[in-house]
Amino acid sequence: MTTDLNQFPELDKTKFEQRGIQLEIGVPVTCAVSIGNNIAAGFGDGTVRIFSSGEKHKTLKAHKGVILCMSKDGDNILTGGDDGYFLKISLNGEINEITNFGSRWVDHVTAYNGNLVCSSGKVVYYWDKNKKEPKSLNHDSTIGGLAFDAKGRRLAVSRYGGVTIWKKDYSNKWKSTKLDWKGSHNKVSFSPDGKYLVTSMQENVLRCWRLKDKLDFAMSGYGSKVKSFAFISDTSYLATSGAIDAICWPFDGEGPMGRKPICLPYIGNKQVTYIEPFPDEKAIFAGLSDGSVFLSQIENENNTIIIRSFTGSEVSAIAMTDDKSSIFIGDMNGNTLWTSIWDQ
Amino acid sequence: MEESNRQVPVTVLTGFLGAGKTTLLNRILTEQHGKKYAVIVNEFGEQGIDNDLVVDADEEVFEMNNGCICCTVRGDLIRILSGLMKRADKLDAIIVETTGLADPAPVAQTFFVDQDVANKTKLDAIVTVADAVHLSSQIEDHHEAEEQIAFGDVILLNKIDLVKDENIEVVTKRIRKINPFAKIIKTTKCGAPLKEILNLDAFNLKRILEVEPDFLESDHDHEHDDDVTSLSFVSDTPLDMEKFQNWFGKLLQTKGQDIMRTKGILDFKDENDRYVFQGVHMLMDASPMGKWPENKERSSRLVFIGRNLDTMNLKEGFEACKSE
Repeated sequence: MTTDLNQFPELDKTKFEQRGIQLEIGVPVTCAVSIGNNIAAGFGDGTVRIFSSGEKHKTLKAHKGVILCMSKDGDNILTGGDDGYFLKISLNGEINEITNFGSRWVDHVTAYNGNLVCSSGKVVYYWDKNKKEPKSLNHDSTIGGLAFDAKGRRLAVSRYGGVTIWKKDYSNKWKSTKLDWKGSHNKVSFSPDGKYLVTSMQENVLRCWRLKDKLDFAMSGYGSKVKSFAFISDTSYLATSGAIDAICWPFDGEGPMGRKPICLPYIGNKQVTYIEPFPDEKAIFAGLSDGSVFLSQIENENNTIIIRSFTGSEVSAIAMTDDKSSIFIGDMNGNTLWTSIWDQ
Repeated sequence: MEESNRQVPVTVLTGFLGAGKTTLLNRILTEQHGKKYAVIVNEFGEQGIDNDLVVDADEEVFEMNNGCICCTVRGDLIRILSGLMKRADKLDAIIVETTGLADPAPVAQTFFVDQDVANKTKLDAIVTVADAVHLSSQIEDHHEAEEQIAFGDVILLNKIDLVKDENIEVVTKRIRKINPFAKIIKTTKCGAPLKEILNLDAFNLKRILEVEPDFLESDHDHEHDDDVTSLSFVSDTPLDMEKFQNWFGKLLQTKGQDIMRTKGILDFKDENDRYVFQGVHMLMDASPMGKWPENKERSSRLVFIGRNLDTMNLKEGFEACKSE
């Protein structure tokens, strides 16, 4: 038998690609969230697609421009767009306008228990679930990210120069405290146990505050900006993008200070661009800049499987259904995969 | 795949209040050219331009934590450009308008500093609209007007219909003294063909070779110490690479705030390639650009635009880089 070295190796489809549904939508996938056992994905042309098992996906024309951000409120999808609209969309396709800022973009949205929040420029708008008009929370610079803590009591707003934490006091008045660190802070998240707050910065670094004493520290060494990170399995690890490995910082015990992260390597030396936790497990889905997606166990680097192979375009969204049966993957060229995870 | 990896060219449009930027933007948005241009305007702009492809920005300038004190970038631009890159329809170009009083440097620096911005977009050129009637007095009264001329790759000398020919000559000379390498286009109502304004690739090192700037002999007769001026140097003796790198690196590190732009083509001893570089303040892009053409004399040429240039011993520094 001879081997033809000139022949480019045919990339085999993974078993997930074989049994799942692959689409070439041709428009960047910008975001995705799980709503029960469905996935809602937002696209660069303003459409939302809803994937449910056993039926054809639904396509909704929601925004006039790019869907910049997405979150959920119970069974509803919340979206913000560069058309200035903040929308609430039900799973059966009913679209409700919450507000419209005209030519100003809705950059971030989040919600907790019926209270809806979005940011546009330097202002956060907070709709108490019992009220029609939002409360405006003003900041000195443009907002980089929004996050509630696990109990919905504190709202963290990242911006230039640090993070503002908003909280209602006993008389229902908004009070804020500030965590300062020079530079531009983007995505923000509380740890699930509420002890830490993490931001990714414009520089290739993460900033973390231990909230009980405001001790702050950096997690650095990245080759590029950390665009995606997530706490894993309650607060065991913080898994991050921004390097050719998925970098997982230990947050159990006394936290990550003075400890080394676990680095999960992937074939091909491509940058990790997206991290999605596997709920309740010490495991992550890592999406790479070439479109491939892997599922890895953090404490056993040999236990890595490939979910999707190379597409040539950066992974920009991954979401798993709440029953952990299926996942959705999307990239910047609009290649999507919707597949069950388990063998029949 | 190739299409989506194409970098969208970004033109920075600057110029003093009332010079005609809005006229130009309206032309770009309304003329029938079959191209899709997005325009990023300042929220406090002169007058509203109503178009789906106009984005309001707030000119938020912030410092980078990279140890470089003059390295300021436009945070809002990073956000807006990454948002525009998610659009379904591909843009042919993006135009960023800066306010009349803004320093264009942070805009330019954003393209050097942010990796995502650099991957998907590229700085095409800085276009300065200047008011032929008022430029001379604006330069005297506002250092921003002078800086906008200094940074420009193209200068639209607008409203020439309102100025006598000999005065146009005076203004042109004044511009040349500040910025010897910009292309000056004389217009009324910003009526230059768009192909002379957009998609110029002025920041491409290869282009620096093609449009070899007139390295004018510089003069030293300026009136104020803080005038923006230019100085240029030529050497037929090859330079010593190590000496040059030491001198130039230190110079940008210590005087980068005063040095606004630099460009050069360098002939190093024992090197077959031409080296081309250009910089905005402390940030620099440099690369070998192929062999010297056979029929051309090898020589090194270097131009600086900035303030207080005569306090930096540039001539002595450059002379000392010559190989013996």
